[in-house]
Order: sequence, then C-alpha cells, then structure tokens
Amino acid sequence: MKVTFPHMGNIYIAAKALMDGLGVEYVIPPFTNKAALEIGSLHSPEEICLPFKIMIGNYMQAIEQGADTVILTGSCGPCRFGEYCEMQMNLMKRLGHNLDFIVLDVPLDIGAKELLNRIGKVSGASTKTKAQKLKAAVDAFKVMHLIDDIEAKARFLTGYEATKGAFKRLLNSCKAEAMNCKTPEEMLKLLYDYRSRLDKVKTDKNKKPIKIAIIGEIYTIIEPFSNLYIEDKLMDYGVSTKKTLTPSWWYKNLVLSPLKLNQLEIKRKARDYLPLGIGGHARECIGEAVLAHDEGFDGAIQIFPMGCMPEIVSKAILPKISREKDFPIMTLVVDEMTGEAGYVTRIEAFVDLLERRKNNVLSGC
Amino acid sequence: MIVGIPKGLLYCRYQSFLDTFFYELGAEIITSPDTNKEILNAGVKYCIDEACLPVKIYHGHVASIKDKCDMIAIPRIMQLREREFICPKFCGLPEMVVSSIPDMPRTTMAPIYAMSKDRLYAWAKKTGSMVTHDTGRIKRALDSAIHEQQRFKGGIKDEGFRLNIALTGHPYNLYDSFINMNIVKKLNKLGVGVITEEYADESIIDDQVKKLYKKPFWSFARNSYGFAVHSAQSKAVDGIIYISSFACGIDSVVIELIKDKTDDFPFMVIKLDEHTGEAGLDTRVEAFVDMLERTR
Ligand code: SF4
Ligand code: SF4
Repeated sequence: MKVTFPHMGNIYIAAKALMDGLGVEYVIPPFTNKAALEIGSLHSPEEICLPFKIMIGNYMQAIEQGADTVILTGSCGPCRFGEYCEMQMNLMKRLGHNLDFIVLDVPLDIGAKELLNRIGKVSGASTKTKAQKLKAAVDAFKVMHLIDDIEAKARFLTGYEATKGAFKRLLNSCKAEAMNCKTPEEMLKLLYDYRSRLDKVKTDKNKKPIKIAIIGEIYTIIEPFSNLYIEDKLMDYGVSTKKTLTPSWWYKNLVLSPLKLNQLEIKRKARDYLPLGIGGHARECIGEAVLAHDEGFDGAIQIFPMGCMPEIVSKAILPKISREKDFPIMTLVVDEMTGEAGYVTRIEAFVDLLERRKNNVLSGC
Repeated sequence: MIVGIPKGLLYCRYQSFLDTFFYELGAEIITSPDTNKEILNAGVKYCIDEACLPVKIYHGHVASIKDKCDMIAIPRIMQLREREFICPKFCGLPEMVVSSIPDMPRTTMAPIYAMSKDRLYAWAKKTGSMVTHDTGRIKRALDSAIHEQQRFKGGIKDEGFRLNIALTGHPYNLYDSFINMNIVKKLNKLGVGVITEEYADESIIDDQVKKLYKKPFWSFARNSYGFAVHSAQSKAVDGIIYISSFACGIDSVVIELIKDKTDDFPFMVIKLDEHTGEAGLDTRVEAFVDMLERTR
C-alpha cells in the first residue's frame, strides 16, 4: 500500500509526520501546479467546482509516482464536498486506475465502527505498536497546529517587519526544511525552533500596515495554488493578513461540532446577517467579515470557486455588511480560467483603495 | 394584513401549504404573477450575477410584489427529511433577498424543518405571530395547511403516446413553463409523452439510492437520481431529459451520478440561464426526439 491524499494547504506537512510515524509508505503529490489543474479539468465534469478538479490532478500526479490508495475526508453537509468521494471513485475507475479510497467521515454518518475500520486500513499497513501509532497521530496533530500557527503569525506580522521580506523568507525556509525531516520528532523540534525564531524577527510596532482578512470557501483559502498565492502577494505588498479557516481549524470544527463548542465567537458575529448555518462555511464567512471589522482590519477579501453554492449566498449578503459598517470587501471568484493579470490588478487596486482610505482618516479629512 | 407570496422556487410544490396557512390565519394573500419577462429582468437586476436562474427569478417575483404587501413570506427550507439537506441557497434565501432588494417589507425568517409536525409547529408559531396572536388559530392553520399539502400530488404522467420520456430535475425547473420554455407542450407536440418522479414509487427511489456508496443527502437530488436511474434500467421510458440550470452545484453532481449508472441510455441535459434562446432549445429537443425514433 502506498498512500496519497489531495493537497490542502499545509496538510501535507502533517501527513508526512503521520506516515513517517506510522512507517507507512506514501506519496506526497507534487505541489498543485498548472499541469495538475489541466489534467484535472480535462477529466472532471465541466460544472464541478474547482477543488474537485485540482484534487483529481493531485491523484493523477501521485499515481505516476506509484500511489495506490487515497485518503479523503468527506464531511457531510449540504454542500458538494460530501459527494466528492463517490464521484472521484467513479471517475478514477473510468480512467482505468485501480485506486483504493479510504473515506474518513464524521462518525454519525458511517457509524463509529466503520470509521475505525477505515482508519484501521491505513494503520494496518503499519508494523508499529499501538502506542507508537497513537503517538504518531498525536504528533501529526501537533505538527498541524504548529505549522498553521507559524504561518498565521508570519503573515500577520509581515506588515510590521523592519526588513522587507523577512517573514516570508522565514516561512518558506521553515516549510522547506520541515520536508527534509526524517522523523516526526525531528520535525516537531524544527517547528518549535522556528516558532521561537519568529519572535526574534525585528518588527516596528509603530507601523500602521494595511490589514486584510481572507474569508470565503475553505479550500480556495487554504490551497494557495487555487487562489493564485494571494497571501504571498499581499505579503509582498507589506500587507498583514489573517484567515481563520485553516486545516487545524477545520479539524477542530469537525471534531467539536457535535458538542457545539466550536466557533461561538464567529457565530455570534454572524447573527445579524446570517443566523443559521446553511452549509459549506458561509456563516463563518459572514461572521469573519464582521469580526474583521470589529478588530480594526481595513478590509476583507472573499475568495470562492465559481459556482460555489454557500459562498454565493455570502456574496449576496456581504455588500450589506460593507454598506452598514463602511467596511470594504472585495470578492474574487476563481476557476480554471482565472487570468493572473486581471487578478493581480484587482488585488492591487483594492490595496490602493484601503491605503487611500487609511491616509484620509489619518490626515483627518 | 396583506401577505405577499412569491411564486418562485418551491412554491410550485408547497403552494397548498403556504396559501392555506396564511389564509387560515386571516391574512389577505397576494401572489406574484406567473414568471414572465419583467420578472426575469427584475431578478437579473437585483440578484447577484453568480446565482442560478431559479434564484434570480425568485428575486424577480419578490420585487414584483414587495410594494403591494405588508409582509412577504420567504420560506427558508432547511430540511425535509432526517440526515438530508437541501441547497444552501434555500437555507439562506431570506438573507439573500433582503440584502439584495432595497426597501423590503417585513419578511418571514424562521427556518422550516419539515421532518415532524412538532418542528413545523415551531416555524408556524414564529411565522404566524407576525399575523395573529391567537395561538389556537395558528395551530389550526398549520393543521389545515398540512392537510391540504398532503392532498397535493403534482407531477405529470401522460398516457397514450408512442414515445415516452422521463422528465427530471428540480421541480421549479420542471413546472415553470416560462423557465423551461414550455418543454412539456413541445414534447407532446412531437408525439412524446412525459412522466415525472411523482409517479415513481418511493421504494424504487430508495432502492437505487441505497446502491450508492454514500447516501446522497439532498432531498431533491435523491428523487431525481433514483427516478432517472430506475427509468433507464427498467427501460420504462425511451429516454430521459434532465432540466438543469447553469451554476447549480447540485445538478452538476447528480447528472454525473446518473450518467455513471445509465451507460448509453438516451439522456439529454438541458441547461438554462437568462441567455438561453428558444430556437436553440427547439433544435435540441427535436434532435433528441429524432434520435429516440431511430433507435426505437
Ligand atoms: S463549498 Fe463550494 S467549493 Fe466547496 S464543495 Fe461546496 S460548492 Fe464546492
Ligand atoms: S438547487 Fe440548484 S437550481 Fe436550485 S437553488 Fe440550488 S443551485 Fe439553484
């Protein structure tokens, strides 16, 4: 068995730690790239959303490197993500690839026993003891939190950095070095080390950088290729960014949702505009927009793939928030045709707008 | 108190329920006209561009009556059956509308969970209190509304045609003849009879759905899927036409799932948006019928 999984932001780093810990063979698909998108779009139904297409591209490229088993999380909700597995299995079969799919689902839908059964399929391939397996899982979650944490900090502090590009360089080398680690322990040590190094980067607390919250559909927020590396671009402009939706958030949300402990703050903030969960992460999107305003951010950028049902609802609601709170929000809809040039122009124009607004306020006119 | 009821989206299916409920509460009811060109245009004007045609048209229906009533009933249907959902756009419909159309009267906001009478009553209490404070009356209104709804059958089953097709898709695409440009009449004229999922057995649908690896969890998708796959496999009809709208995420999945299970059984998908021309549609329908004639 050689396991692979679709890319979604930093998940590959945690997955590496997990598989290394379990001693299971795995393939990390090449970072999502143009070719992956192209083969993915070629084979996928035309009207399916972008994440589906990119994921197919990930599988195809992983197969070339010998992968035969895909791990997929299909969470149930009134959104297409839950249907992905069925369709992707059919599609890959039709293309003549005999892939095994292990779908990790929320227990209520498949039954706890079946879930353990499915997890067992992966850990069964591991020769480690039970305690070692457990440790591998715990380490992987730690990795996920650490890397998300480091990334969030680096992106937010960028606006305050004394030397331009310092945080970006640190973040990039952190990710690159993490992939060279041989064991989860080594990786954890590295990540802790990087986290403390973040605090030593020289910052200028008197700076008043532009601050933008990234909101919208979770996949297109998390997977940088799909949003044309918007966070990196904003880093280059010296803009501080924040996103709440990250892989570790997602995990927490899935696990905690039966207890309804999760995301109280965001739900509270969304109440005036969208009091109920409608599927996908539309309510989070609305709540985060309000939250970003309350926290003194200068604006928000909503990103979602074309045809994304829940985010279309948010998009209809966001202008109301923008009007009532005098808070600029821009929407970027991405699909396989998104042209880099037009996209960059829009981001730049938005940053300009925020800068102008800020200067006006500062100069008191 | 005048209650406005827009005739878009699932009104075609829950008309008896909505009309009866508000009538029994003692409200005066106005409905929007059947979908027409002005309604479409108003919908396109107010609704965000990315939305699907039925949602745009719904906005048009609301716009056409918003100034003529004291409140508008916008059903927020969250769930029809346990562990099943419907499109996010239904769940967020009231917010979409009030955020997009200016100067709206009061609107109903309470969610509808139709799995049990108790949960329906929760909706009725909130919604009914916008019209009357008489809780006994609200209870009775809900009872009559449920009663009327249960008598509603809907659906199409033509008899006596040589060729027959299964017509499937979301109800508002099937039963709004403006949206689908009178497709049923067109087919009948070409000598083709139409049957819809209302005439399929629940158990047939369940059977088909159970064969999926994972249960589909959209109530309407479930019906379209089970009905289409059964019609193809049992050869109960000569072909299947699926009426869909662009930018419908649910259809994009269901159509794939159907295609996967029906091999080369004649299957045509008609996708609609505000730019769809009638001439093009006619040609496609005729070509499909020709093909059915030939392969028969
Ligand atoms: S949230 Fe949007 S992008 Fe994600 S599966 Fe649903 S429709 Fe597709
Ligand atoms: S189910 Fe499809 S057609 Fe219906 S409202 Fe949702 S996206 Fe639009």
